[in-house]
Amino acid sequence: MAPWSLKSRPVSGRILGYGFSVACVAIALGLALVFQRYNFRDVELPLFDLAIALTAWYAGIGPSVLAVALSTVCANYFFVEPVYSFAISGRELPYFFLFIAWAVIVASFAAVRRRIEADLRQARDHLQLEVEQRKQREEEVRKLNRELAKRAVQLEVSNKELESFAYSVSHDLRAPLRHAVGYSELLQKQCASLVDEKAQRFIKTIVEAAKRMGNLIDDLLAFSRIGRAETKKTEVNLEQLAKEVVGEMGQETKGREIAWKIGALPVCYGDRSMLRLVMVNLVSNAMKFTRMRTRAEIEIGCADGSGDEVEVFVRDNGAGFDMEYANQLFGVFQRLHRAEEFEGTGIGLATVQRIIHRHGGKVRGEGAVDQGATFYFSVPKARETKVKAASAP
Amino acid sequence: MNGKLGRILIVEDDPRDVELTLTALEDYKLANEVVVARDGKEALDYLYCRAQFQTRSSDNPAVMLLDLKLPKVDGLEVLKQIRSDEHLKMIPVVVLTSSHEEKDMMRSYQLGVNAYVVKPVDFHDFVNAVKELGVFWAIINEPPPGSMKK
Repeated sequence: MAPWSLKSRPVSGRILGYGFSVACVAIALGLALVFQRYNFRDVELPLFDLAIALTAWYAGIGPSVLAVALSTVCANYFFVEPVYSFAISGRELPYFFLFIAWAVIVASFAAVRRRIEADLRQARDHLQLEVEQRKQREEEVRKLNRELAKRAVQLEVSNKELESFAYSVSHDLRAPLRHAVGYSELLQKQCASLVDEKAQRFIKTIVEAAKRMGNLIDDLLAFSRIGRAETKKTEVNLEQLAKEVVGEMGQETKGREIAWKIGALPVCYGDRSMLRLVMVNLVSNAMKFTRMRTRAEIEIGCADGSGDEVEVFVRDNGAGFDMEYANQLFGVFQRLHRAEEFEGTGIGLATVQRIIHRHGGKVRGEGAVDQGATFYFSVPKARETKVKAASAP
Repeated sequence: MNGKLGRILIVEDDPRDVELTLTALEDYKLANEVVVARDGKEALDYLYCRAQFQTRSSDNPAVMLLDLKLPKVDGLEVLKQIRSDEHLKMIPVVVLTSSHEEKDMMRSYQLGVNAYVVKPVDFHDFVNAVKELGVFWAIINEPPPGSMKK
Protein backbone atom coordinates (compact mmCIF):
# COMPACT_ATOMS: atom_id res chain seq x y z
CA MET A 1 0.00 0.00 0.00
CA ALA A 2 1.51 3.29 -1.04
CA PRO A 3 2.17 5.61 1.93
CA TRP A 4 0.78 8.55 -0.09
CA SER A 5 -2.51 6.92 -0.67
CA LEU A 6 -5.38 8.70 0.99
CA LYS A 7 -6.71 5.39 2.10
CA SER A 8 -3.64 4.39 4.04
CA ARG A 9 -3.32 5.49 7.61
CA PRO A 10 -0.52 3.27 8.89
CA VAL A 11 -0.45 4.89 12.30
CA SER A 12 -3.89 5.22 13.65
CA GLY A 13 -5.17 5.27 17.17
CA ARG A 14 -4.02 7.58 19.92
CA ILE A 15 -1.60 5.39 21.84
CA LEU A 16 -0.14 3.95 18.68
CA GLY A 17 0.43 7.53 17.39
CA TYR A 18 2.27 8.64 20.51
CA GLY A 19 4.19 5.35 20.62
CA PHE A 20 5.21 5.91 17.00
CA SER A 21 6.34 9.41 17.95
CA VAL A 22 8.49 8.13 20.84
CA ALA A 23 9.91 5.32 18.71
CA CYS A 24 10.84 7.71 15.88
CA VAL A 25 12.62 10.05 18.26
CA ALA A 26 14.34 7.13 19.99
CA ILE A 27 15.58 5.73 16.66
CA ALA A 28 16.78 9.21 15.62
CA LEU A 29 18.59 9.56 18.94
CA GLY A 30 20.14 6.12 18.59
CA LEU A 31 21.33 6.85 15.06
CA ALA A 32 22.66 10.26 16.13
CA LEU A 33 24.59 8.68 18.99
CA VAL A 34 26.02 6.07 16.59
CA PHE A 35 27.06 8.76 14.13
CA GLN A 36 28.62 10.77 16.95
CA ARG A 37 30.56 7.72 18.03
CA TYR A 38 32.14 7.51 14.59
CA ASN A 39 32.80 11.27 14.63
CA PHE A 40 30.23 12.39 12.08
CA ARG A 41 29.33 15.89 13.14
CA ASP A 42 26.07 17.84 12.90
CA VAL A 43 23.79 15.04 11.68
CA GLU A 44 21.77 14.81 14.88
CA LEU A 45 19.42 17.74 14.26
CA PRO A 46 18.46 16.70 10.69
CA LEU A 47 17.84 13.22 12.10
CA PHE A 48 15.48 14.60 14.74
CA ASP A 49 13.81 16.70 12.06
CA LEU A 50 13.28 13.57 10.04
CA ALA A 51 11.76 11.86 13.08
CA ILE A 52 9.42 14.83 13.62
CA ALA A 53 8.49 14.94 9.96
CA LEU A 54 7.73 11.21 9.90
CA THR A 55 5.66 11.49 13.06
CA ALA A 56 3.77 14.50 11.74
CA TRP A 57 3.18 12.75 8.44
CA TYR A 58 1.89 9.51 9.80
CA ALA A 59 0.61 10.14 13.33
CA GLY A 60 -0.94 13.62 13.36
CA ILE A 61 -0.56 16.81 15.36
CA GLY A 62 -0.52 15.49 18.95
CA PRO A 63 2.28 12.93 18.42
CA SER A 64 4.29 15.44 16.35
CA VAL A 65 4.15 18.00 19.20
CA LEU A 66 5.40 15.23 21.47
CA ALA A 67 8.13 14.42 18.93
CA VAL A 68 9.19 18.09 18.82
CA ALA A 69 9.33 18.22 22.63
CA LEU A 70 11.24 14.94 22.94
CA SER A 71 13.65 15.86 20.15
CA THR A 72 14.29 19.21 21.77
CA VAL A 73 15.00 17.60 25.10
CA CYS A 74 17.20 14.85 23.60
CA ALA A 75 19.12 17.20 21.34
CA ASN A 76 19.64 19.57 24.19
CA TYR A 77 20.78 16.84 26.56
CA PHE A 78 22.98 14.79 24.28
CA PHE A 79 24.31 17.11 21.62
CA VAL A 80 24.09 20.76 22.65
CA GLU A 81 27.02 22.16 24.66
CA PRO A 82 27.31 21.62 27.51
CA VAL A 83 26.61 17.98 26.79
CA TYR A 84 24.67 15.80 29.31
CA SER A 85 22.88 18.76 30.76
CA PHE A 86 19.71 20.66 29.88
CA ALA A 87 21.56 23.98 29.90
CA ILE A 88 22.18 25.71 26.58
CA SER A 89 25.24 27.80 25.90
CA GLY A 90 24.74 31.22 24.33
CA ARG A 91 26.59 30.18 21.17
CA GLU A 92 24.25 27.23 20.54
CA LEU A 93 21.03 29.08 21.35
CA PRO A 94 20.14 30.54 17.84
CA TYR A 95 21.03 27.27 16.24
CA PHE A 96 18.84 25.44 18.70
CA PHE A 97 15.87 27.83 18.15
CA LEU A 98 16.28 27.44 14.42
CA PHE A 99 15.96 23.71 14.92
CA ILE A 100 12.75 24.12 16.94
CA ALA A 101 11.30 26.56 14.39
CA TRP A 102 12.12 24.16 11.59
CA ALA A 103 10.53 21.32 13.49
CA VAL A 104 7.37 23.35 14.14
CA ILE A 105 7.13 24.34 10.44
CA VAL A 106 7.48 20.72 9.34
CA ALA A 107 4.93 19.65 11.90
CA SER A 108 2.45 22.35 10.86
CA PHE A 109 2.89 21.56 7.15
CA ALA A 110 2.16 17.98 7.97
CA ALA A 111 -0.85 19.05 9.99
CA VAL A 112 -2.15 21.11 7.07
CA ARG A 113 -1.61 18.17 4.81
CA ARG A 114 -3.50 15.99 7.23
CA ARG A 115 -6.35 18.45 7.35
CA ILE A 116 -6.52 18.49 3.55
CA GLU A 117 -6.38 14.76 3.55
CA ALA A 118 -9.21 14.63 6.04
CA ASP A 119 -11.25 17.02 3.89
CA LEU A 120 -10.55 14.95 0.83
CA ARG A 121 -11.50 11.84 2.68
CA GLN A 122 -14.72 13.45 3.79
CA ALA A 123 -15.41 14.55 0.22
CA ARG A 124 -14.68 11.06 -0.98
CA ASP A 125 -16.97 9.56 1.64
CA HIS A 126 -19.61 12.02 0.63
CA LEU A 127 -19.16 11.10 -3.01
CA GLN A 128 -19.25 7.45 -2.16
CA LEU A 129 -22.47 7.97 -0.28
CA GLU A 130 -23.90 9.82 -3.22
CA VAL A 131 -22.81 7.08 -5.59
CA GLU A 132 -24.46 4.56 -3.33
CA GLN A 133 -27.61 6.61 -3.13
CA ARG A 134 -27.60 6.99 -6.87
CA LYS A 135 -27.15 3.26 -7.25
CA GLN A 136 -30.05 2.75 -4.92
CA ARG A 137 -32.16 5.20 -6.88
CA GLU A 138 -31.17 3.54 -10.12
CA GLU A 139 -32.17 0.24 -8.63
CA GLU A 140 -35.48 1.78 -7.62
CA VAL A 141 -35.99 3.15 -11.12
CA ARG A 142 -35.14 -0.24 -12.56
CA LYS A 143 -37.59 -1.86 -10.17
CA LEU A 144 -40.29 0.60 -11.15
CA ASN A 145 -39.48 -0.05 -14.78
CA ARG A 146 -39.78 -3.75 -14.25
CA GLU A 147 -43.11 -3.23 -12.54
CA LEU A 148 -44.23 -1.00 -15.37
CA ALA A 149 -43.26 -3.62 -17.91
CA LYS A 150 -45.19 -6.17 -15.88
CA ARG A 151 -48.19 -3.85 -15.82
CA ALA A 152 -47.92 -3.36 -19.56
CA VAL A 153 -47.97 -7.10 -20.04
CA GLN A 154 -50.95 -7.42 -17.72
CA LEU A 155 -52.68 -4.65 -19.58
CA GLU A 156 -52.00 -6.33 -22.86
CA VAL A 157 -53.35 -9.60 -21.49
CA SER A 158 -56.52 -7.98 -20.22
CA ASN A 159 -56.85 -6.16 -23.53
CA LYS A 160 -56.57 -9.48 -25.32
CA GLU A 161 -59.15 -10.92 -22.94
CA LEU A 162 -61.42 -8.03 -23.65
CA GLU A 163 -60.95 -8.55 -27.33
CA SER A 164 -61.74 -12.25 -27.12
CA PHE A 165 -64.70 -11.38 -24.93
CA ALA A 166 -65.99 -9.01 -27.59
CA TYR A 167 -65.26 -11.65 -30.18
CA SER A 168 -67.25 -14.33 -28.41
CA VAL A 169 -70.07 -11.87 -27.76
CA SER A 170 -70.09 -11.13 -31.44
CA HIS A 171 -70.07 -14.80 -32.37
CA ASP A 172 -72.00 -16.62 -29.72
CA LEU A 173 -74.44 -14.15 -28.22
CA ARG A 174 -76.00 -13.14 -31.49
CA ALA A 175 -76.81 -16.68 -32.60
CA PRO A 176 -79.41 -17.47 -29.89
CA LEU A 177 -81.00 -14.10 -30.52
CA ARG A 178 -81.27 -14.83 -34.18
CA HIS A 179 -82.90 -18.13 -33.33
CA ALA A 180 -85.32 -16.53 -30.90
CA VAL A 181 -86.39 -14.03 -33.55
CA GLY A 182 -86.41 -16.60 -36.34
CA TYR A 183 -88.45 -19.22 -34.56
CA SER A 184 -90.86 -16.67 -33.11
CA GLU A 185 -91.55 -15.43 -36.60
CA LEU A 186 -91.93 -18.96 -37.91
CA LEU A 187 -94.34 -19.61 -35.05
CA GLN A 188 -96.26 -16.47 -35.92
CA LYS A 189 -96.55 -17.58 -39.51
CA GLN A 190 -97.42 -21.14 -38.61
CA CYS A 191 -100.24 -20.40 -36.21
CA ALA A 192 -101.47 -17.01 -37.34
CA SER A 193 -104.98 -18.35 -37.80
CA LEU A 194 -104.97 -20.47 -34.66
CA VAL A 195 -104.11 -18.00 -31.90
CA ASP A 196 -105.94 -14.90 -30.76
CA GLU A 197 -104.84 -11.33 -30.94
CA LYS A 198 -103.29 -11.39 -27.46
CA ALA A 199 -101.05 -14.31 -28.32
CA GLN A 200 -100.06 -12.56 -31.54
CA ARG A 201 -99.09 -9.54 -29.51
CA PHE A 202 -97.00 -11.71 -27.18
CA ILE A 203 -95.11 -13.20 -30.07
CA LYS A 204 -94.58 -9.75 -31.53
CA THR A 205 -93.19 -8.55 -28.22
CA ILE A 206 -90.75 -11.48 -28.09
CA VAL A 207 -89.53 -10.63 -31.57
CA GLU A 208 -89.17 -6.94 -30.79
CA ALA A 209 -87.34 -7.57 -27.54
CA ALA A 210 -84.90 -9.94 -29.20
CA LYS A 211 -84.29 -7.46 -32.02
CA ARG A 212 -83.67 -4.72 -29.50
CA MET A 213 -81.17 -6.91 -27.73
CA GLY A 214 -79.48 -7.52 -31.06
CA ASN A 215 -79.21 -3.77 -31.59
CA LEU A 216 -77.82 -3.28 -28.09
CA ILE A 217 -75.18 -5.94 -28.66
CA ASP A 218 -74.22 -4.44 -32.01
CA ASP A 219 -73.96 -0.97 -30.48
CA LEU A 220 -71.92 -2.23 -27.57
CA LEU A 221 -69.54 -4.06 -29.87
CA ALA A 222 -69.11 -0.99 -32.05
CA PHE A 223 -68.50 1.04 -28.92
CA SER A 224 -65.85 -1.34 -27.64
CA ARG A 225 -64.21 -1.35 -31.07
CA ILE A 226 -63.71 2.41 -30.81
CA GLY A 227 -61.77 1.88 -27.61
CA ARG A 228 -59.56 -0.76 -29.22
CA ALA A 229 -59.07 0.70 -32.70
CA GLU A 230 -55.88 2.58 -33.43
CA THR A 231 -56.26 6.25 -34.16
CA LYS A 232 -54.72 7.57 -37.35
CA LYS A 233 -54.25 11.25 -36.71
CA THR A 234 -54.05 13.82 -39.47
CA GLU A 235 -55.26 17.36 -40.01
CA VAL A 236 -59.00 17.39 -40.28
CA ASN A 237 -60.92 20.28 -41.76
CA LEU A 238 -63.91 20.33 -39.43
CA GLU A 239 -65.94 22.69 -41.57
CA GLN A 240 -65.62 20.44 -44.58
CA LEU A 241 -66.44 17.44 -42.41
CA ALA A 242 -69.53 19.11 -40.95
CA LYS A 243 -70.80 20.07 -44.40
CA GLU A 244 -70.20 16.56 -45.66
CA VAL A 245 -72.10 15.00 -42.75
CA VAL A 246 -74.97 17.47 -42.99
CA GLY A 247 -75.16 16.92 -46.74
CA GLU A 248 -75.49 13.18 -46.25
CA MET A 249 -77.79 13.19 -43.26
CA GLY A 250 -79.93 15.95 -44.73
CA GLN A 251 -81.16 13.55 -47.38
CA GLU A 252 -82.89 11.49 -44.70
CA THR A 253 -85.00 14.43 -43.63
CA LYS A 254 -86.92 15.16 -46.76
CA GLY A 255 -90.22 16.81 -45.99
CA ARG A 256 -88.89 18.44 -42.85
CA GLU A 257 -87.96 22.05 -42.60
CA ILE A 258 -84.52 22.33 -41.07
CA ALA A 259 -82.57 25.58 -41.01
CA TRP A 260 -78.93 24.53 -41.05
CA LYS A 261 -76.28 27.01 -39.99
CA ILE A 262 -72.67 25.97 -40.28
CA GLY A 263 -70.21 28.56 -38.98
CA ALA A 264 -66.52 28.83 -39.73
CA LEU A 265 -64.76 25.85 -38.22
CA PRO A 266 -61.00 25.50 -37.88
CA VAL A 267 -58.70 22.69 -38.90
CA CYS A 268 -57.96 20.33 -36.06
CA TYR A 269 -55.66 17.40 -35.51
CA GLY A 270 -57.31 14.00 -35.11
CA ASP A 271 -58.62 10.80 -36.64
CA ARG A 272 -60.92 11.78 -39.47
CA SER A 273 -63.21 8.74 -39.48
CA MET A 274 -63.64 8.91 -35.71
CA LEU A 275 -64.33 12.64 -35.74
CA ARG A 276 -66.78 12.01 -38.51
CA LEU A 277 -68.58 9.53 -36.25
CA VAL A 278 -68.73 12.24 -33.57
CA MET A 279 -70.28 14.67 -36.04
CA VAL A 280 -72.72 12.05 -37.35
CA ASN A 281 -73.86 11.19 -33.82
CA LEU A 282 -74.34 14.79 -32.77
CA VAL A 283 -76.06 15.83 -35.99
CA SER A 284 -78.38 12.81 -36.01
CA ASN A 285 -79.25 13.50 -32.37
CA ALA A 286 -80.05 17.09 -33.25
CA MET A 287 -82.24 15.91 -36.09
CA LYS A 288 -83.97 13.31 -33.94
CA PHE A 289 -84.75 15.59 -31.05
CA THR A 290 -86.09 18.41 -33.24
CA ARG A 291 -88.53 16.12 -34.99
CA MET A 292 -91.59 17.71 -33.38
CA ARG A 293 -90.62 21.24 -34.42
CA THR A 294 -92.27 22.64 -37.51
CA ARG A 295 -89.07 24.51 -38.20
CA ALA A 296 -85.97 22.90 -36.77
CA GLU A 297 -82.85 25.00 -36.28
CA ILE A 298 -79.52 23.25 -36.09
CA GLU A 299 -76.31 25.20 -35.78
CA ILE A 300 -72.76 23.91 -35.93
CA GLY A 301 -70.15 26.40 -34.83
CA CYS A 302 -66.92 27.06 -33.05
CA ALA A 303 -67.24 28.35 -29.53
CA ASP A 304 -63.68 29.15 -28.62
CA GLY A 305 -60.78 29.43 -31.02
CA SER A 306 -58.10 30.37 -28.52
CA GLY A 307 -55.54 28.15 -26.83
CA ASP A 308 -54.35 24.83 -28.19
CA GLU A 309 -57.84 23.45 -28.53
CA VAL A 310 -60.85 24.11 -30.65
CA GLU A 311 -64.28 23.80 -29.12
CA VAL A 312 -67.01 22.92 -31.54
CA PHE A 313 -70.70 22.88 -30.71
CA VAL A 314 -73.86 21.47 -32.25
CA ARG A 315 -76.95 23.37 -31.15
CA ASP A 316 -80.59 22.55 -31.77
CA ASN A 317 -83.97 23.91 -30.78
CA GLY A 318 -85.39 20.50 -29.99
CA ALA A 319 -86.64 18.66 -26.93
CA GLY A 320 -83.63 19.56 -24.79
CA PHE A 321 -83.05 18.02 -21.40
CA ASP A 322 -83.05 18.80 -17.72
CA MET A 323 -79.59 20.01 -16.64
CA GLU A 324 -80.11 18.14 -13.38
CA TYR A 325 -79.43 14.91 -15.25
CA ALA A 326 -76.62 16.29 -17.42
CA ASN A 327 -74.13 13.94 -15.74
CA GLN A 328 -75.98 10.96 -17.24
CA LEU A 329 -75.83 12.25 -20.80
CA PHE A 330 -72.65 10.48 -21.83
CA GLY A 331 -73.17 7.16 -20.05
CA VAL A 332 -73.47 3.92 -22.00
CA PHE A 333 -77.12 3.06 -22.62
CA GLN A 334 -78.21 6.08 -20.59
CA ARG A 335 -81.25 7.82 -21.93
CA LEU A 336 -83.05 10.92 -20.75
CA HIS A 337 -86.10 10.35 -22.96
CA ARG A 338 -88.59 7.55 -23.13
CA ALA A 339 -88.19 5.04 -25.91
CA GLU A 340 -91.70 5.85 -27.20
CA GLU A 341 -90.75 9.51 -27.61
CA PHE A 342 -87.38 9.07 -29.23
CA GLU A 343 -85.94 5.77 -30.38
CA GLY A 344 -82.33 4.76 -29.79
CA THR A 345 -80.18 2.63 -27.54
CA GLY A 346 -78.31 5.40 -25.76
CA ILE A 347 -74.88 4.68 -27.12
CA GLY A 348 -74.44 7.75 -29.36
CA LEU A 349 -73.17 10.27 -26.82
CA ALA A 350 -71.12 7.59 -25.05
CA THR A 351 -69.40 6.98 -28.37
CA VAL A 352 -68.86 10.73 -28.81
CA GLN A 353 -67.31 10.98 -25.37
CA ARG A 354 -65.07 7.99 -25.93
CA ILE A 355 -63.73 9.33 -29.20
CA ILE A 356 -63.14 12.83 -27.84
CA HIS A 357 -61.42 11.45 -24.74
CA ARG A 358 -59.16 9.43 -27.00
CA HIS A 359 -58.27 12.72 -28.67
CA GLY A 360 -57.48 14.26 -25.27
CA GLY A 361 -60.50 16.57 -25.47
CA LYS A 362 -63.61 17.18 -23.40
CA VAL A 363 -67.33 16.92 -24.00
CA ARG A 364 -70.23 18.68 -22.30
CA GLY A 365 -73.86 19.35 -22.89
CA GLU A 366 -76.09 22.31 -22.09
CA GLY A 367 -79.79 22.43 -22.40
CA ALA A 368 -83.21 23.01 -20.88
CA VAL A 369 -86.38 21.01 -21.23
CA ASP A 370 -88.17 21.90 -24.46
CA GLN A 371 -85.67 24.67 -25.23
CA GLY A 372 -83.09 22.79 -27.19
CA ALA A 373 -79.66 21.44 -26.38
CA THR A 374 -76.07 22.32 -27.21
CA PHE A 375 -73.29 19.76 -27.21
CA TYR A 376 -69.68 20.88 -27.09
CA PHE A 377 -66.56 18.92 -27.84
CA SER A 378 -62.94 20.05 -27.84
CA VAL A 379 -60.09 18.65 -29.91
CA PRO A 380 -56.45 19.71 -30.35
CA LYS A 381 -55.86 22.43 -32.89
CA ALA A 382 -53.64 21.82 -35.89
CA ARG A 383 -50.54 24.05 -35.74
CA GLU A 384 -50.69 27.47 -37.40
CA THR A 385 -48.46 26.60 -40.33
CA LYS A 386 -50.41 23.46 -40.88
CA VAL A 387 -53.66 25.41 -40.86
CA LYS A 388 -52.38 27.56 -43.69
CA ALA A 389 -51.19 24.57 -45.65
CA ALA A 390 -54.45 22.77 -45.14
CA SER A 391 -56.62 25.72 -46.15
CA ALA A 392 -54.63 26.37 -49.30
CA PRO A 393 -56.53 25.20 -52.38
CA MET B 1 -79.17 -18.71 -66.49
CA ASN B 2 -79.41 -22.15 -67.93
CA GLY B 3 -82.15 -23.47 -65.65
CA LYS B 4 -79.82 -25.85 -63.89
CA LEU B 5 -79.48 -25.78 -60.15
CA GLY B 6 -76.10 -25.73 -58.52
CA ARG B 7 -75.47 -27.78 -55.42
CA ILE B 8 -75.06 -25.78 -52.21
CA LEU B 9 -72.80 -27.02 -49.45
CA ILE B 10 -73.73 -25.54 -46.10
CA VAL B 11 -71.12 -25.85 -43.37
CA GLU B 12 -72.89 -24.99 -40.13
CA ASP B 13 -72.71 -26.57 -36.68
CA ASP B 14 -75.84 -25.06 -35.17
CA PRO B 15 -78.94 -27.15 -36.04
CA ARG B 16 -81.21 -24.13 -35.59
CA ASP B 17 -79.20 -22.10 -38.04
CA VAL B 18 -79.30 -25.05 -40.43
CA GLU B 19 -83.08 -25.25 -40.11
CA LEU B 20 -83.55 -21.51 -40.57
CA THR B 21 -81.26 -21.52 -43.59
CA LEU B 22 -83.07 -24.46 -45.15
CA THR B 23 -86.42 -22.79 -44.44
CA ALA B 24 -85.20 -19.72 -46.27
CA LEU B 25 -83.93 -21.77 -49.20
CA GLU B 26 -87.14 -23.78 -49.41
CA ASP B 27 -89.07 -20.67 -50.31
CA TYR B 28 -87.14 -20.61 -53.56
CA LYS B 29 -87.14 -24.37 -54.02
CA LEU B 30 -83.41 -24.39 -53.59
CA ALA B 31 -83.36 -26.75 -50.63
CA ASN B 32 -83.30 -29.98 -52.63
CA GLU B 33 -79.76 -29.49 -53.76
CA VAL B 34 -78.31 -28.76 -50.37
CA VAL B 35 -75.71 -30.74 -48.48
CA VAL B 36 -75.11 -29.92 -44.85
CA ALA B 37 -71.80 -30.52 -43.14
CA ARG B 38 -71.89 -30.07 -39.38
CA ASP B 39 -68.24 -29.21 -38.81
CA GLY B 40 -65.08 -28.33 -40.68
CA LYS B 41 -63.85 -31.91 -40.81
CA GLU B 42 -67.10 -33.15 -42.33
CA ALA B 43 -66.94 -30.37 -44.91
CA LEU B 44 -63.43 -31.43 -45.90
CA ASP B 45 -64.53 -35.08 -45.95
CA TYR B 46 -67.27 -34.12 -48.36
CA LEU B 47 -64.99 -32.10 -50.61
CA TYR B 48 -62.34 -34.82 -50.68
CA CYS B 49 -64.96 -37.64 -50.98
CA ARG B 50 -63.72 -39.27 -47.81
CA ALA B 51 -65.44 -41.24 -45.01
CA GLN B 52 -69.25 -41.27 -45.47
CA PHE B 53 -68.91 -39.34 -48.74
CA GLN B 54 -66.70 -41.92 -50.44
CA THR B 55 -69.41 -42.92 -52.87
CA ARG B 56 -70.53 -39.49 -54.03
CA SER B 57 -69.68 -38.22 -57.48
CA SER B 58 -66.56 -36.14 -57.37
CA ASP B 59 -68.10 -32.90 -58.69
CA ASN B 60 -67.57 -29.80 -56.62
CA PRO B 61 -70.50 -27.88 -55.13
CA ALA B 62 -71.58 -24.73 -56.98
CA VAL B 63 -71.13 -22.75 -53.80
CA MET B 64 -70.19 -23.33 -50.22
CA LEU B 65 -71.81 -21.36 -47.38
CA LEU B 66 -69.23 -21.48 -44.63
CA ASP B 67 -69.63 -20.60 -40.97
CA LEU B 68 -66.40 -19.50 -39.27
CA LYS B 69 -66.82 -20.87 -35.78
CA LEU B 70 -66.97 -24.62 -36.22
CA PRO B 71 -66.01 -27.64 -34.12
CA LYS B 72 -62.85 -29.61 -34.97
CA VAL B 73 -61.65 -27.64 -37.99
CA ASP B 74 -62.75 -24.00 -38.03
CA GLY B 75 -64.04 -22.15 -41.06
CA LEU B 76 -60.86 -20.22 -41.81
CA GLU B 77 -58.84 -23.43 -41.77
CA VAL B 78 -61.31 -25.08 -44.15
CA LEU B 79 -61.03 -22.06 -46.43
CA LYS B 80 -57.25 -22.17 -46.28
CA GLN B 81 -57.16 -25.87 -47.23
CA ILE B 82 -59.59 -25.40 -50.08
CA ARG B 83 -57.65 -22.49 -51.51
CA SER B 84 -54.40 -24.40 -51.44
CA ASP B 85 -55.85 -27.43 -53.23
CA GLU B 86 -55.57 -27.47 -57.01
CA HIS B 87 -58.86 -29.32 -57.49
CA LEU B 88 -60.92 -27.36 -54.92
CA LYS B 89 -59.57 -23.85 -55.09
CA MET B 90 -62.08 -22.61 -57.65
CA ILE B 91 -65.15 -23.42 -55.52
CA PRO B 92 -66.97 -20.17 -54.73
CA VAL B 93 -66.99 -19.74 -50.95
CA VAL B 94 -69.33 -17.43 -49.08
CA VAL B 95 -68.61 -16.90 -45.43
CA LEU B 96 -71.92 -16.74 -43.56
CA THR B 97 -71.17 -15.89 -39.97
CA SER B 98 -72.33 -14.08 -36.86
CA SER B 99 -69.03 -12.29 -36.62
CA HIS B 100 -68.88 -8.60 -37.31
CA GLU B 101 -65.21 -8.56 -36.37
CA GLU B 102 -62.90 -6.85 -38.81
CA LYS B 103 -60.24 -9.45 -37.98
CA ASP B 104 -62.38 -12.28 -39.34
CA MET B 105 -63.32 -10.28 -42.39
CA MET B 106 -59.71 -9.40 -43.19
CA ARG B 107 -58.56 -12.95 -42.70
CA SER B 108 -61.33 -14.35 -44.91
CA TYR B 109 -60.63 -11.98 -47.76
CA GLN B 110 -56.91 -12.62 -47.47
CA LEU B 111 -57.66 -16.29 -47.90
CA GLY B 112 -59.66 -15.50 -51.05
CA VAL B 113 -63.27 -15.72 -49.98
CA ASN B 114 -65.82 -14.74 -52.66
CA ALA B 115 -68.24 -13.02 -50.30
CA TYR B 116 -68.58 -12.27 -46.61
CA VAL B 117 -72.08 -12.09 -45.18
CA VAL B 118 -72.92 -11.32 -41.55
CA LYS B 119 -76.02 -13.22 -40.46
CA PRO B 120 -78.63 -10.58 -39.70
CA VAL B 121 -80.41 -10.85 -36.34
CA ASP B 122 -83.70 -9.93 -37.95
CA PHE B 123 -85.34 -13.05 -39.34
CA HIS B 124 -86.67 -11.37 -42.48
CA ASP B 125 -83.27 -9.94 -43.22
CA PHE B 126 -81.74 -13.33 -42.59
CA VAL B 127 -84.20 -15.11 -44.89
CA ASN B 128 -83.66 -12.52 -47.58
CA ALA B 129 -79.90 -12.74 -47.29
CA VAL B 130 -79.88 -16.53 -47.55
CA LYS B 131 -82.38 -16.47 -50.42
CA GLU B 132 -80.40 -13.97 -52.38
CA LEU B 133 -77.20 -15.89 -51.78
CA GLY B 134 -78.92 -19.09 -52.91
CA VAL B 135 -80.43 -17.53 -56.00
CA PHE B 136 -77.24 -15.81 -57.00
CA TRP B 137 -74.79 -18.63 -56.45
CA ALA B 138 -76.99 -21.62 -57.34
CA ILE B 139 -78.87 -20.10 -60.27
CA ILE B 140 -77.50 -16.84 -61.63
CA ASN B 141 -73.79 -17.43 -61.25
CA GLU B 142 -72.00 -19.70 -63.71
CA PRO B 143 -69.90 -21.93 -61.48
CA PRO B 144 -66.43 -23.00 -62.54
CA PRO B 145 -66.22 -26.13 -64.71
CA GLY B 146 -66.45 -29.36 -62.77
CA SER B 147 -69.25 -28.19 -60.49
CA MET B 148 -72.31 -30.21 -59.76
CA LYS B 149 -75.45 -29.16 -61.62
CA LYS B 150 -78.85 -30.70 -62.00
